[in-house]
Amino acid sequence: MNKIMYLEFERCIGCRACQAACRECGDHDAKERNYVEYVDFTESRQTFPMLCMQCKDPACARVCPANAIQITEEGVVLSAMEEKCIGCRNCTFGCPFGIPKFDFEKNKMYKCDMCYDRTREGISPMCASVCPSDAIRFIDFDEMQELRRRRTQMNLIEGKKPQEGNKWDYVPEFFGVYTDSNQ
Amino acid sequence: MSQFLVKEGVKNQIRKGEKLVATHCCYCGMQCGMHIRVNEKTNKVVGVEPRYDWVLTKGKMCPKGVTAYQTIDHPDRIKRPLIKKNGQFVESSWEEALDLIERKYKEIQGEYGRDAIGVYGGVSMTNEKCYLVGKYARVALGTRYIDYNGRYCMSSAAGGFNKTLGMDRGSTLPWTELEHSDCFFMAGSNTAECHPTSIQWFWKAKDKGAKIIVADPRETPTARVADVHLDLLPGTDSALANGIMHLLIKHDYVDTEYVNERCNNFEELKEMTARFTPEYTAKLTGIAVEKIVKAAHIFGKSPRSVVMFARGAEQQTKGVDNVSLYTSMALLRGQIGKFASGVATLTGQGNGQGGREHGQKADALPGYRKITNPKDREYIAGVWGIEPEEMPQEGVSAYEMFNLMEAKTIRGLHVICSNPVVSSPNINYVQKALEGLDFLVVNDFFLSETAELADVVLPTATWAEDEGTTTNTEGRVIRIRKVVDPIGESKPDWEIMQLIAERMGKGKFFPYKEPREIFDELRIASKGGKADYYGVTYEKIDAQDGVFWPAPAEDHMGTPSVFKDKFATEDGKANLAVCDWREPGEIPNTGYPLWLTTGRVVFHYLTGNQTRRVGFLMDQCPEPFVEIHPELASQYQIQNGERVKISTPRGEMTAPARITKAIRKDTLFVPYHWGKEQSINQLTSPALDPFSRMPEFKVCAVKLEKLTK
Repeated sequence: MNKIMYLEFERCIGCRACQAACRECGDHDAKERNYVEYVDFTESRQTFPMLCMQCKDPACARVCPANAIQITEEGVVLSAMEEKCIGCRNCTFGCPFGIPKFDFEKNKMYKCDMCYDRTREGISPMCASVCPSDAIRFIDFDEMQELRRRRTQMNLIEGKKPQEGNKWDYVPEFFGVYTDSNQ
Repeated sequence: MSQFLVKEGVKNQIRKGEKLVATHCCYCGMQCGMHIRVNEKTNKVVGVEPRYDWVLTKGKMCPKGVTAYQTIDHPDRIKRPLIKKNGQFVESSWEEALDLIERKYKEIQGEYGRDAIGVYGGVSMTNEKCYLVGKYARVALGTRYIDYNGRYCMSSAAGGFNKTLGMDRGSTLPWTELEHSDCFFMAGSNTAECHPTSIQWFWKAKDKGAKIIVADPRETPTARVADVHLDLLPGTDSALANGIMHLLIKHDYVDTEYVNERCNNFEELKEMTARFTPEYTAKLTGIAVEKIVKAAHIFGKSPRSVVMFARGAEQQTKGVDNVSLYTSMALLRGQIGKFASGVATLTGQGNGQGGREHGQKADALPGYRKITNPKDREYIAGVWGIEPEEMPQEGVSAYEMFNLMEAKTIRGLHVICSNPVVSSPNINYVQKALEGLDFLVVNDFFLSETAELADVVLPTATWAEDEGTTTNTEGRVIRIRKVVDPIGESKPDWEIMQLIAERMGKGKFFPYKEPREIFDELRIASKGGKADYYGVTYEKIDAQDGVFWPAPAEDHMGTPSVFKDKFATEDGKANLAVCDWREPGEIPNTGYPLWLTTGRVVFHYLTGNQTRRVGFLMDQCPEPFVEIHPELASQYQIQNGERVKISTPRGEMTAPARITKAIRKDTLFVPYHWGKEQSINQLTSPALDPFSRMPEFKVCAVKLEKLTK
């Protein structure tokens, strides 16, 4: 699987279709595993999606005393195995991003598995499939790199001038030609 | 049953023992493509799967679309006809319900005349059904009083387009072209929440450098991404459009050749807009002068631009003026009829486009024909097999029908696919009008607030239980597929109308065995009209991913872009709008010092009769709320989440406050998806646009009060 989950936070429109769709994935037991949060509702409507990043060396799996969290050969960090999970919730405390959820009725942890039964066939996960705003995409590595180069190019076209606070968002000054136009 | 259809070469997840049926969503005008998952053994709907190959939406869906399938096999579905006996609904047989309807209809019509029964339609159903509602009213019941919920939705857009362009197709261009546009001017549209899957096209364009200008009193998720957000006062769109056109003329952004060749009234428009200097416009609209100037320059400089608007601009007493003026902005720039540019209204209801074309409106006959035009009457009477003299005359608009119920002119009503006691303005009045009826029949698949008032509720099939076509926001006719058989004893609306027609002795005019036969009749009925469907066939829709009307001949491929060479007016030229600024029907005063505007949230659809029954959507947005700017909230000493009271002379409600800077300081916003004491339409104003008869949902004066303990 050399596809990438590519998130563009600023594109999120807060519709939560990703969460509704997460519930629809085959093994997801009608429970969503992703998050959409307001940055600050009083200030603006800006929301952002949050998914498991499938860490290389996941804290959730490392702190699991029962070895219940498996990592697939493609690197997908799965939900706790039902027969092994002892319901200690270590994983939910261990994850630095607050991703794993806990089912208090079934006494086990569940989390994003990148819709493993879809993605291993090369089919886009549910959240990325439905995201109407392209805030979540499931794309090739090369496509992602192209998108990133393109963002930089767009900044040049739009004639934005880097400020002290955001200069790292832009290419160095010796590289591009900036215009002062406001349009 | 529909044939199992998944496109070749498109990878979808198909689980063992399941099949996918390709169809479209039941909700808004985007009509997103989707697959419904069906268990082959039990033949039950089990879920949804994206339809990546659908050309307009590419598998994307909003949360309503994702959960739409959950309404099909829902425990709240009405499965047998309900008859109200001693104030309680009792399940009955179709026979008994139809007997009662026949007896009551004949009784009322016998005593008070044919027009004493009215029909109130809707456009969240297929073209076949919408067409048949018009025929049912005029042929089966012989009544002049028919109108539909599109009056509250698309009538101003229709009025404005007809006035300026001579024809009302919601979008003059196919939306797959939007990615090539350079500028979008969106007025009164929160497209990110109301048509979420459209956003992908704006992003594609933005990635190529396109600019977005949004006019909205709120900083909606759409306005948030705009290059310029024109935060206008509710009800001031016509001043804004005049002001922008003033600047387009002043700075020489007018496409003179196009205007001279293809438009009337330029000199008059020039004279009218002369007064609308940025300063004067700013005074009327409450927008800063710089923003107006900036927007005009961006719009004026863009080689390809699309002007778009939605209910924010249309649901006003100046709805038609607003649409005409915004359309004129596009005309001044010479944009209509060209690649990746033009003008579009964002259709709110699933079949808001198709449903308004084929005679569900008080003054309309199929194919945008006019019931007042003798030739049109004659043609349609011929198609229907009746005498032209038998064709009833023009009726009245939706809201005015309630006036007639109060006056006892209309004594019985058949509501099909609508929930007017939630969707109408001033619903306390509307509810009384409906309660005063002698006899009310409602077709629905859930017991809506309107159905609760009915004497007979007839259980209908959902969108997934019947075949048919709809016309999406672009003007593209698409196929809706039957996924499963209707649940319980429910029947599709066309069958119900057919059964009642038989009881009224008009069965021979309704000989249909399947929706395709109705569609074939519609094709002939619309032939030669402006909305010409003659060349649209089910096969062609499948073969070419939908057919854009007009398609006037059998071998015609359809017309993705309209007005390429000439407009549909009599002289072929567009009429630029010359409209002065008028005040809204109601403006803030000492008793009611603030503005009130209403709208949608992304989680609910229209009156919420469907979406309020879906768990996920209710979890996200369980009740209405009042959006208040923190500055205003602090003056009223209101905290976030606190319940507040809002009122107008027509009604009052309480709801929790949501404090946000994303709204004007002088305006309150409340979403309208709830009924009864939770309905903001208790407060809204029934002032009507003089031309389209659209009520002014979006503007009224309101009082805000802190609740004392």
